[in-house]
Amino acid sequence: MIITKKRDFKALLENIANYKSFFLIGCSECASLCGTGGEPELAALKIALEAEGKTVTGTMLPKTGCQTLGTKIELKKDKDACAAADAIIVMSCGAGTQSAVEIFPDKPVYPANDTLFLGNMTRFQMFDERCSLCGQCILDQTGGICPVTACPKGLLNGPCGGTNEGKCEVSPDIECAWVRIYNRMKKINRLEDFKKTLSPKDWSASRKPATRIAREEKKEEKK
Amino acid sequence: MSLKSALESGKFVVTAEVGPPKGTDIKKILHESELLKGKVDALNVTDNQSAVMRISSVSFCKLLLEMGQEPILQMTCRDRNRIGLQSDLLGASILGIKNVLCMTGDHPNAGDHKEAKPVYDIESVQLLKVVAGLNAGKDMMGNELKGATDFYQGAVVTPESNPIEPQLMKFEKKIEAGANFFQTQAIYDIDKFKGFMSYARKFPVKILAGLVLLKSAGMANFMNKFVPGITVPQNLIDELKEAGKEKAMDAGIGIMARHIKQLRDEKICDGVHIMAIGAEDKVPEIMERAGLL
Repeated sequence: MIITKKRDFKALLENIANYKSFFLIGCSECASLCGTGGEPELAALKIALEAEGKTVTGTMLPKTGCQTLGTKIELKKDKDACAAADAIIVMSCGAGTQSAVEIFPDKPVYPANDTLFLGNMTRFQMFDERCSLCGQCILDQTGGICPVTACPKGLLNGPCGGTNEGKCEVSPDIECAWVRIYNRMKKINRLEDFKKTLSPKDWSASRKPATRIAREEKKEEKK
Repeated sequence: MSLKSALESGKFVVTAEVGPPKGTDIKKILHESELLKGKVDALNVTDNQSAVMRISSVSFCKLLLEMGQEPILQMTCRDRNRIGLQSDLLGASILGIKNVLCMTGDHPNAGDHKEAKPVYDIESVQLLKVVAGLNAGKDMMGNELKGATDFYQGAVVTPESNPIEPQLMKFEKKIEAGANFFQTQAIYDIDKFKGFMSYARKFPVKILAGLVLLKSAGMANFMNKFVPGITVPQNLIDELKEAGKEKAMDAGIGIMARHIKQLRDEKICDGVHIMAIGAEDKVPEIMERAGLL
């Protein structure tokens, strides 16, 4: 899931200083789980904005905010409320915010959240970064733990000299990714994978902006 | 004599290191380098050590060459991508630099530009392979070079890393990637180091034991607490304490000289790498007391 956190409310107020009325959009996927864009957060932002003398013309929780077409269809029922708003505020990730930008070509759209990383919820509202979206998965060679993400240096061939009793030189709060990988490989009897030297990564696989048209592949598969 | 010839001759090799300063005033580092001339076999030039921005390693290596010294270019992967690294290696080669020490490099988090984007496009093991490739006349993509390099390549290892197994597996990867020599992280327990050496001797590489000059008991305690892979045994800390504040540095010099003597007399390793960290002017004294001068 995509991990987000609330932006500073003062910064949001500065963004929207010139506007009076707003329509708020959340997201029932990641942002709801993060507590940054579910029903309670939509309601709280509505109250906070009204306390600042602003008007909220309506709120809406799309099923999947980054699904542009679906969100557009879901928003049809809120047509009038949207039309009445000077601007849109989106409480999801950067992708959800940009769904709204596409859906409302004539209205300003502002993000209520900062988008942090792709990760897992390990306990209630505790999130760990797990994937760097590098475009070329190496989990098959690293015991299922991603060093590109979990090691601050993204090392591919073992721990650096800064590893310290299982902790990272960058911060003792970080577990050394390569000690974790070593322990995991040992446990699953795959230490021979550790001995293989991994080649430099092909960073062209993660070049921006990326676009993928999966339906073309599906067509090919059907043939 | 080149570092390669020195190591291959079987003599007990001594390397030391100098850190280029932040700023263009190089009087101090020139003076320190001059003091070490003709005494050490080669001199490492650090590459933005501890991720603190300083004069580039390549530039100061060139000045050392002009002084008639044998420089070891430290090269980290923190600040340059694979294009920059290869380009600088070719550049170092045409300047006459023959030795390169390949390292991943401290994270920017440790330095004075914490907001910098860490590069780490490749890392130490891969950089060693890149150097081997350039020596064979090919760049990383297999493109033919018009003129190959001829580097003698080194790497680093932390013999007291904890846990040790993954560190040793990486050590073997570095050898496979083309490392000719190693300079170790600081060691203080010679018996423990003998254990590491009996393992390392299985491989066709030269090993220089890393020694960091202890200047006070406080410094030793600090390293034990904050520097990964370094353990100063209590008896050495006591020795520094007993010497008292004013004589602590002298005691530190004595400890290092004693260790060098033992490493050489018992033929434990191929040489030493002295890291005086700001007290480079003490290196000749250390060598004298170790019986090397």
